[in-house]
Amino acid sequence: MMFLQQTLVALLKGLPLTINLALLSLLGGGVLALLLNLLRMTRVGSFFCRFYVWLFRGTPLLIQIFMVYYGLGSLPAVRESLFWPLLRDPYWCGLLALILNDAAYTSEILRGGLRAVSQQSLEAAKVSGMSSYKIFTRITLPIAIRQALPAYSNEIISMIKATSLVSTISLMEMTGIADSIVSSTFRALEVFLSAAVIYLILTMLVSKGVSMLERRLSPYYFGARS
Amino acid sequence: MTAPTIMLSHLRKSYAGHEVLHDISLTAQDGDVISLIGASGSGKSTLLRCIPFLEVPQAGEVAVGDINVTLDNADEKLSREQRRRIKLMRMQLGFVFQSFNLWPHKTVMQNIIEAPVHVQKRSHKEAIEEAEALLHKVGLYAKRDAWPSQLSGGQQQRVAIARALAQQPKAILFDEPTSALDPELVGEVLRVIRSLAEEGRTMIIVTHEMGFARDVSNKAVFLHQGMIEESGSPEQVFLDPISPRCRTFVNSHFERNAG
Repeated sequence: MMFLQQTLVALLKGLPLTINLALLSLLGGGVLALLLNLLRMTRVGSFFCRFYVWLFRGTPLLIQIFMVYYGLGSLPAVRESLFWPLLRDPYWCGLLALILNDAAYTSEILRGGLRAVSQQSLEAAKVSGMSSYKIFTRITLPIAIRQALPAYSNEIISMIKATSLVSTISLMEMTGIADSIVSSTFRALEVFLSAAVIYLILTMLVSKGVSMLERRLSPYYFGARS
Repeated sequence: MTAPTIMLSHLRKSYAGHEVLHDISLTAQDGDVISLIGASGSGKSTLLRCIPFLEVPQAGEVAVGDINVTLDNADEKLSREQRRRIKLMRMQLGFVFQSFNLWPHKTVMQNIIEAPVHVQKRSHKEAIEEAEALLHKVGLYAKRDAWPSQLSGGQQQRVAIARALAQQPKAILFDEPTSALDPELVGEVLRVIRSLAEEGRTMIIVTHEMGFARDVSNKAVFLHQGMIEESGSPEQVFLDPISPRCRTFVNSHFERNAG
């Protein structure tokens, strides 16, 4: 019992880093996903977007993390560049890989939401005299986000779990700490189980939070509740 | 003599080489209620949609009050100046769609104050006060915080009319405002439109409700294959048209409604 308690306390010390990585990668990935969708409106941009999504969705996140951390660092040009102080740091490398990966998935989710915005809503916005920018920020994007929210909640959960992979490049988030406790105590079952329970609680809270947000933003929309 | 509220001259519109509007000119003076009638495919909705440039005509001129846009180069993109003027024209027009087109992510109140606050930059408080008055007028004050999806078609259309009025438009354009409604909901929407006509508002109405069009308008225009085939007072167009096509069209509608 004592051991479990000590383990939980130790693991929870990794929680801030887990949350930090998840939040920042979702934030960065979200901004990048929006940019990717704006790029998609042009011919060349659309080709680039498809290539980007194809690349980052089609390869394992673990390999992406290794490529950024070990791969980039092996290039002399990178080591001599302005970004080397950042790219030699496992935290920034892990975060960068998570952001790039999240952007690929989020841009597809957002694309689905944008496609679901009806021509009717857009025409109503046009005849009211709104500029293209206003139409995008006040009509298109808010409708797209509401449409995309249920699918996006999966992506949030996915990213929370994905942060565990950066333990492989020596970052001490929850999984990293769990791994180190196991290697010194050999009590794999209890330790990993404790970590799993913390992840479970975290993802459960996120699901609840997003569905509350959904109901708040659009209680009678898409038949969410009627 | 003040400028007409809406003036269309020599409008042409074609899709992929097929011309759907041939050289149409139409003027609405202040206080005019013009009904546009004609069979489906006659171009009446296209004509209406050309006024706020939801469809871009290939040639001709559109003027709303003292703002005008002239199109001379058929396939050239609209210039920056043209787009600026179109935006100004749109701000002076209200448009009511066949399928209401309320924004699904905004409540009734938010739908109505959107353009006044975010396009016309009026104060939030003033916009809300005006929206409340408009909701009273269309009989939906109790629904001010409802979502569009909670309303019947007739209610949604009345909110859409309130939204159009909130822009304080010089003229209101109706594109078959009752065609998407169940028969029992048509009356409530027509009543609202009728009350606007009685206030002396300038309106152009595309409709299949012949009896309503005859009663409410002071001018009727019959379109056939993208051309104005007959136009004049409602008495003339509905009761004693010169064009045999117009006569057949009008009679078939009245017979159906009578039967």
